[in-house]
Amino acid sequence: GQEFQFGPCRVEGVVLQELWEAFQAMKDIVQAKDNITSVRLLRKEVLQNVSDTESCYLIRALLKFYLNTVFKNSLDKAADSRIRKSFSTLANNFFVIASKLQPSQEKEMFSISESARRRFLLFQRAFQQLDIQAAQTKAFGEVDILLTWMEKFYQ
Amino acid sequence: DGVTVLPAPQNLSVQSTNMKHLLTWSPVTVPGEIIYYFVEYQGEYESLYMSHIWIPSSWCSPTEGPECDITDDITATVPYKLRVRATLGSQTSAWSTLQHPFNRNSTALTPPVMEVTKDGFHLVIKLEDLGPQFEFLVAYWRREPGAKEHVKVVRSRGIPVHLETMEPGAAYCVKVQTFVKAIRRHSPFSQAECVKVQGETLPL
Repeated sequence: GQEFQFGPCRVEGVVLQELWEAFQAMKDIVQAKDNITSVRLLRKEVLQNVSDTESCYLIRALLKFYLNTVFKNSLDKAADSRIRKSFSTLANNFFVIASKLQPSQEKEMFSISESARRRFLLFQRAFQQLDIQAAQTKAFGEVDILLTWMEKFYQ
Repeated sequence: DGVTVLPAPQNLSVQSTNMKHLLTWSPVTVPGEIIYYFVEYQGEYESLYMSHIWIPSSWCSPTEGPECDITDDITATVPYKLRVRATLGSQTSAWSTLQHPFNRNSTALTPPVMEVTKDGFHLVIKLEDLGPQFEFLVAYWRREPGAKEHVKVVRSRGIPVHLETMEPGAAYCVKVQTFVKAIRRHSPFSQAECVKVQGETLPL
C-alpha cells in the first residue's frame, strides 16, 4: 500500500486521493474568496529543492501551522456543508500525518532542521503580513500547492 | 432550539464491514406520526480544536429510518464522535451521542468473493468491487507437491484478471485476501478454489 515517506519519517494510513477529493470539492469556493492574487504564501523559496531529510521538519511545521492557525477558525465561517465536510477530511488527515511525524532531534541534524525552520518562517512571515482572515483564506486556498508538494513523498 | 418533548434516540451503535459503516439506533415512536432524525459527526480534530463544531451527515440530515450510512462521512483514520436527535415538527429531542467514538480501523474485513474461471489454457480470476479503498492480494499455485505459491496484487475492480497460462492436465488453485490502505489491514484469505484445465472447479 502507499504511504508518505518524508525522509526518515514514514506515515501510513492516509490515502492521498481522499485529500485531493476533499480539496477539489471546495477549491472553487475557497479560492474565489482570495482577492489578493499578487501574494503567494507557499512560494518557491519555501518548497523548492527540499531534501528528503529536511522534508520531515518542514512538513511537520507546515501541518501544525495549518491545524493550529489556518483551519482553526475557518470552520466557524464555513456555512456551506460541502466545505465543512471537505474541511473535516483535510483537517483530520493532516492531524493524523502531523501526529505520526517524529523528526530526529539529534544535534547533527541541527543545520537541516534550521534550514527547514527558515523555509517555514518565510511562509509564516508572509502569512502574518496579511490581515488574519485574508491570510487564512489564502492559506486554505493554497492547500493544493501543499498537496502537490506532499505527493512527491507519497510512494 | 424547539421545545424538547421527544425522547432522545437510544442504543446508538455502529456496524462496520469492509469499510461500509452503518450507524443504527432504537426508533423513537409517536403513534400516527413520522419522526425525522438528524445525524451529525465530529472527527478528532474538531473535538480537540473546535468542540462546538458538529458536521451534518452527508445522507442523514434528515432521515426517516433509525439508521444512517455514515461511510462518506468517515474520511480519516481517527476516532469520530456521532450524535443523533429526533424531530417531529418543531419538537426536537436532546442529542444522543455514540458511547464510544468510532474509528474505521475497527471495520470487519471479510474474505472477498472471487470467481475463478478458465479461458482456454488461461487461469482467470474476477473479484468483487469493494470500492477504491481495497487492493487484492491473489495467491495461486499449481496443485502438486512442493509447488511454488505465486502472488499478484490486483488493484483493478470487477474485471477479469489473467493469472497464469496453465499446462494441460494440471490443476491450479487460487485464494485471495483484501488489503485496505487507509487502515493498513488485511482480510482473512478466502477458501481456495481449484480448476483443472479439462475438469470443473474442484472445491478443496
